[in-house]
Amino acid sequence: MAKGNYKQKANLQRIALLAPGVLLYGVFNFLPLLGLLVLCLVDWPGIGPMKFVGLDNFTQLFGNAFYRDQLVRALGQNLIFFVIIIAAMLLLGTFFALLLSFGTKGRNVYRSLFFLPYPLAGAAVAFLLELIVRTRGPLNVLLVQGLHLVDKPIGFLGDPMLALPTLAAFYSWHRMSFAIILILSAIVAVRIQLIEAAMLDGASRWQTLKAVVFPVLMPAFILIIVIVMVDVFNNADYTLLLMGPEGSPGRATDIMGTFLFRSAFGGSATSVNVNFGMSAAIGLVTAIVILPAAIFLALRNLRRD
Amino acid sequence: MERLFKLKPLEQIVVQFILLVYAAIVVFPIGIAILNSLKPNLGEVYKAPFALPSVWSWDNYAEAWFGANFQTYFLNSAIISLSCVVLVTLCASTTAFVIVRMPFKGSTFLFGCFMLGVVIPIRLAMAPLFVVVKSLRLLDSLLGVILVQSASMMPVAVFILTAFLRAVPAELEDAAKMDGALPFEIYWRVVVPLIRPALATVALLTFVQSWNEYFLPLIFLQSESNFPITLGMTQFRLRFDVQWHLMFAGILIMLVPTIIAFLLASRQFIQGLTQGGLKE
Repeated sequence: MAKGNYKQKANLQRIALLAPGVLLYGVFNFLPLLGLLVLCLVDWPGIGPMKFVGLDNFTQLFGNAFYRDQLVRALGQNLIFFVIIIAAMLLLGTFFALLLSFGTKGRNVYRSLFFLPYPLAGAAVAFLLELIVRTRGPLNVLLVQGLHLVDKPIGFLGDPMLALPTLAAFYSWHRMSFAIILILSAIVAVRIQLIEAAMLDGASRWQTLKAVVFPVLMPAFILIIVIVMVDVFNNADYTLLLMGPEGSPGRATDIMGTFLFRSAFGGSATSVNVNFGMSAAIGLVTAIVILPAAIFLALRNLRRD
Repeated sequence: MERLFKLKPLEQIVVQFILLVYAAIVVFPIGIAILNSLKPNLGEVYKAPFALPSVWSWDNYAEAWFGANFQTYFLNSAIISLSCVVLVTLCASTTAFVIVRMPFKGSTFLFGCFMLGVVIPIRLAMAPLFVVVKSLRLLDSLLGVILVQSASMMPVAVFILTAFLRAVPAELEDAAKMDGALPFEIYWRVVVPLIRPALATVALLTFVQSWNEYFLPLIFLQSESNFPITLGMTQFRLRFDVQWHLMFAGILIMLVPTIIAFLLASRQFIQGLTQGGLKE
């Protein structure tokens, strides 16, 4: 009798332990993700009755020039944004990680210092760096009067050609240490076992790095690429904060995150094309773009267990 | 074996120079902000951004603090992020405990559902999420933002905690079970103390991310009295945009809590980063 009683109680308690987490995640995360599949089939401005339109949102998105041009532009610019950031992170990240892995004096101080921007709020970083790069701001004063590198101030965020790379630079400044730390931990991991053997063979430093260290950095590189890719294709905080949902100047900084936001909540006061169904459709398309990266991440996580 | 990593004196100088240049790039914006936040007027920021202030105007911080509703923003941010920390550590640890130690039919599927949240960011589903929050009448409430933000952090937290729990042996729990302890007791007395390091990592990541979150409050909050500091900062910017010295002061006020959190726990930060292998 006591045993049956225990089992029953244990089962009840198991359910009670599971319920809060499952409810919280289920209602506010999992359900909305599944909801994408339903919502993309309707035309609905957020209030009033929903209209079922089938796959019309997708035909509009790929067929109607109004949406197609925005999609192509946002996707293309998002790709450029991603490439600049990933190039900076992998090249500079590896470079600095290597320098920190040597017997460099004060390397712990450098490592902590480099890590400083990482935990800062994106909003604060965006506003801070925007102030720094204004035409009358400190960076331009330094470039024009201090170093005499240019004749007149550069409009970093006002110039359509420069705005997107500038935002990418902001992102890289903020997140660089993430790459440095991951690459550094990969280097440190192989340091002892492998390098000894290579050095015994009389290989030079560069040969050892090339033969022993670089190959083992591949997993770290892939991880950085995947995580940054998933992030920049859904997160448009910098653009929203500094350039607005229309991605000024002239949509030169428009990326998927802003396009998605605009389609659901409107860009400016004048926008009329607000459609939750279209936003869900764009969300799904973006999810499909990042899906290979996402699946890779999932497999890696599951394999680890 | 240390030969590879040992630097000759000349190499040491070159490496030091390169690292100093990058350190300068990292410190430059923050240093400029500190310097210029203490200047008495805009003219000095324009004319000589690298010079020391003629008068050290500590009042700028008070002016920024009271000029915007920083105390309201801070309070809201504190309520949101502390609630998120409590909710996420509690819910994620109980979930991970059941999934790992008391598996049942469908627990693998359940874990898979959580992993879907790891790989597909909730922002992509902002439209359906908005519908859910609206139909629960949680728009423009701190509770709504707390639930949404905690839910968005659940997948990573569950992932970190299940991975950690799988790596520790279940001997203590089995012993407790033999003594007739029920799951509640096992969870609270045995598992929580056991997974404390992982809980600390999760709590820290959750605190920083929820404190820094801009996008979710932007969608779900409307009245300024509910704004966390990230949204408050945009309000502040609307009003003080041309007064750069006050902008710098406001930005620094906003940065202080995360910088303190970082100084107190930089090691856990870096651990969390490499352990989870997941951003934030």
